Amino acid sequence: MAEKVLVKGNEALGEAAIRGGCRYYFGYPITPQSELTEYMSRRLPEVGGVFLQAESEVSVVNMLYGASCVGVRVMTSTSSPGFSLMQEGVSYMAGAELPAVFINVVRGGPGLGDIQPAQGDYLQATKGGGHGDYRLIVLGPSTIQEAIELVMLAFDLADKYRTPVEVLADGMIGQMMEPVEFPEMRSLNTLPEKPWSLTGAKGRKPNKITSFDLDPYKLEEMNLRYEATRKRIIANEQRWEERNVKGADILVAAYGTVGRIMKTVMELAKEEGINVGLFRPITLWPFPYERLEELSKKVNTVLTVEMSGGQMLEDVKLAVKDNAATPFYGRMGGVVPTPEEILEQIEKIIKGSESA
Amino acid sequence: MMEDKFDIRIVSDEKRIFAFVGDFGSGKTEMAINFALMRRASGKDVAIADLDVVNLYFRSREHTNYLRERGINVILPPQKYRNADVPIITPTVMGSISDHNTDLILDIGGEENGIAVLGYLSEYLIKEAYEILFVINGRRPFTRKVEDIVSLYDRLVRKARGVKINSLVNNTNLMDETTGEIVKEGEELLEDVSSALSIPIAFNSISEGVNLDGVSLKYPIFRIKRFNTVK
Repeated sequence: MAEKVLVKGNEALGEAAIRGGCRYYFGYPITPQSELTEYMSRRLPEVGGVFLQAESEVSVVNMLYGASCVGVRVMTSTSSPGFSLMQEGVSYMAGAELPAVFINVVRGGPGLGDIQPAQGDYLQATKGGGHGDYRLIVLGPSTIQEAIELVMLAFDLADKYRTPVEVLADGMIGQMMEPVEFPEMRSLNTLPEKPWSLTGAKGRKPNKITSFDLDPYKLEEMNLRYEATRKRIIANEQRWEERNVKGADILVAAYGTVGRIMKTVMELAKEEGINVGLFRPITLWPFPYERLEELSKKVNTVLTVEMSGGQMLEDVKLAVKDNAATPFYGRMGGVVPTPEEILEQIEKIIKGSESA
Repeated sequence: MMEDKFDIRIVSDEKRIFAFVGDFGSGKTEMAINFALMRRASGKDVAIADLDVVNLYFRSREHTNYLRERGINVILPPQKYRNADVPIITPTVMGSISDHNTDLILDIGGEENGIAVLGYLSEYLIKEAYEILFVINGRRPFTRKVEDIVSLYDRLVRKARGVKINSLVNNTNLMDETTGEIVKEGEELLEDVSSALSIPIAFNSISEGVNLDGVSLKYPIFRIKRFNTVK
């Protein structure tokens, strides 16, 4: 491991991609992720890569489609409205089984919203923002060091399953600074072979990459193949963090920035004599339903906290079923909840259940 | 907050306007806030102007109440534009530059786009006794080597339109993981930068709580409180 450096989240996301073998980045600036685009414009030429600023997010996603077809590791990053613009292309890439990494540094929405951090794009990310039957693998980092690991993992998963992968960050992860260690630069010779890619058909049968077939039975076959891939991902790739879940008075489900804030909340709660457990999904899709279901049997309450109106809450409810109550606390519009206000919610719930 | 070793040259009454320049995330806002507090503690009238047109979060405007409670005049863009993603230079800052009764601390944004603000103010600034301090964190990715810092300096100076960078500040840190050795390593890096640029080192800025036992630093120490932390 190299020496620690102090980096901003956006810079870390970019450097992690390069260390993970990404040499192609197409992007369009949008706050609060623009430092990432700028970082790539500065760094990629140093490592023999290509940075191209496109004229819009629609162009970006189609550039990704093309680059992925020829078998290289490719990435873009954007923020909420920009990712909405890309959705048609994301659906095409999912249908064509093209690996790529999308980073969404989420800001307040809907519409133009604002430039402050939010988590209002969870449903878009995990339930399919574009048309058709597809899912993206969605990874939710809660620290900058974890963001580095997850960006590198995102490339491996994308190649392994031939699927686009989304890293769902937010403005806080993008803008804050932390000391981190970067892993060594991955040698491009160690990247997986892609026999399906379009590299010139000299001496072999041509490859075809498409999301299209006029024959419904053939298109259904393609859909069944996507579904089989989804099942393999669900079976193999669920990731989460659980803290202090044994003997907890209450379990809190939170991801990303809120997952990080929860660690402070847990310390504050301990001083008040409340034992708070944390369940932090790292793969938002596939969501770790079974593990949360199991944990929910041991508590009365699973409180979901998000910087949204309650989006991951739907998955929490699917997991918890009738095992526990599933209240929600959220802030929207780019407001980040403080540890103190989350603790207040927890105290209210605990008091309510004591008096009942 | 201030130690006896603090360089008298910086706190002398000859200089009245101070601005901190450098790379993104080098610690300019922290420095500006701490500097304003230090000048205020020495009994002066102090104003701080948030001229950061680059960053979105973690700007001195987020600490307005804290500073105002301590008697510091905080000069900000109009309230309705506080969270806007547009560069705003409040006209009142021009007035403060020529107000000889008040010390003025300028918190400006990173890199050449940040320092362009000083270039814009240069016709007012160059008439006054100012000190522009180049803040360097040797543990930031683009300021780890002498040649990278020299190249950043060249880019900064080009946009500053005659406003001189007078001194260097060693703010080498890893936030909570900073050690005395890391500060020392930064001081050594800055000595090389100092001789390459012929600009003196003003001081080492070090967070409260960093243990300096067994580390001997050559330059004065300015103990600072970190404001931009995420819980």
